[in-house]
Amino acid sequence: VDTTDENAAAGDTRSPARQSTGFVEVFLLFSRLGLSSFGGGLPAWMHRACVEQRGWLSEMEFSAALALARILPGVNVVNLAVLIGQRLRGFPGAAAAVMGVLVGPCLGVVLLAMIYGQFTGTMILDAALDGATASAIGLLIGMGFRSGGRIIRKDVISAERLRQGIGSIVVLVAMFVLVGVLRLPTVPTVLCLGPLSIALALFALRRASTEQHDDAG
Amino acid sequence: MMQDDKTLAALVLVFVPLSLVSIGGGPSVLAEMQHQAVVVHGWMTQREFADLFAISRAAPGPGALLATLIGWKAAGWLGAFVVSLAFFLPSSLVVYGVARFWNRWRGSDWHTAIEVGFAPVAAGLVFAGAFVMLQWESCGLLGWTTAVGVAACRISRPKIHPLILLGIGAVAFVIARSGE
Repeated sequence: VDTTDENAAAGDTRSPARQSTGFVEVFLLFSRLGLSSFGGGLPAWMHRACVEQRGWLSEMEFSAALALARILPGVNVVNLAVLIGQRLRGFPGAAAAVMGVLVGPCLGVVLLAMIYGQFTGTMILDAALDGATASAIGLLIGMGFRSGGRIIRKDVISAERLRQGIGSIVVLVAMFVLVGVLRLPTVPTVLCLGPLSIALALFALRRASTEQHDDAG
Repeated sequence: MMQDDKTLAALVLVFVPLSLVSIGGGPSVLAEMQHQAVVVHGWMTQREFADLFAISRAAPGPGALLATLIGWKAAGWLGAFVVSLAFFLPSSLVVYGVARFWNRWRGSDWHTAIEVGFAPVAAGLVFAGAFVMLQWESCGLLGWTTAVGVAACRISRPKIHPLILLGIGAVAFVIARSGE
């Protein structure tokens, strides 16, 4: 009873809040989020601001948006801004959220690059930036392992989806070798391997559901 | 002037397709951005590209602001503006369009298959981007060691703030280079 009440309450408080949400308010909030998210982690900030603090979205809505933002083309946080903005105010809301999350940081990053340009050639600064670059590459690798690890945990360890898990690893390694090592262009490679990988996943899913047909799915 | 127009057109032609295939975000098209900016169009050297990459990582906001910086390097403020539109607008429109159909798909096999199918593609592209970046000339053994060390930190201690790791890398390089 408690959980349903909680959901209903969340729904009730959400709707009026949404209606009164203005273009400027959305823009300013997402600007603030965009500019304060040093070193990534923007989705966590958006969750705090939009779900916990303002109740604009329910937990379910937010996680669905997060999943959708991840699989669609585009930068995850920008996509998330589109989805949240769209839920709040339709097209104007989406536009306000995207502009908020991008305009400030875009200006900021160019200013930062200009400042750096003034000092380029300084030995210490060059060394520092090289070191930061190497670390940034490390962050990428860490991120790849974390999302790769999630795929392996989800599929390979559950024995019934072993085939899917192996397929995922083959696609992951193939993508790395084709684009990273052989330097094939990214766009056609994704257009070939992407649908193939989806077909593989769909095949595995259909197979799993015919094998145990009382699966609620 | 003609040259500027050509550069802007080239930027649009590079970044609009990248926007539409950038599944999993900026890192997935890092390898292609590097290839286009350094090898194909010669907008900058590999060294300059590596610098912009580091700046985009240290700045607030999405890491994909590297795209904006490439535009700025190639064609100034106008280039930055054009690339920002070319890289962020097409994917955002796709997301907006799909958002209206998403609820209908929820729970269906298609929905799950797309999610499961794209995950390894995106992860493979992230590794490809990292591998390409590690070939930049002033990287060397120290660069590889730092990258692997930071990756290990990030995996084993996800709570550590990324900026701290960037700072540690910078300090390590400054100390190592001043000892030379």
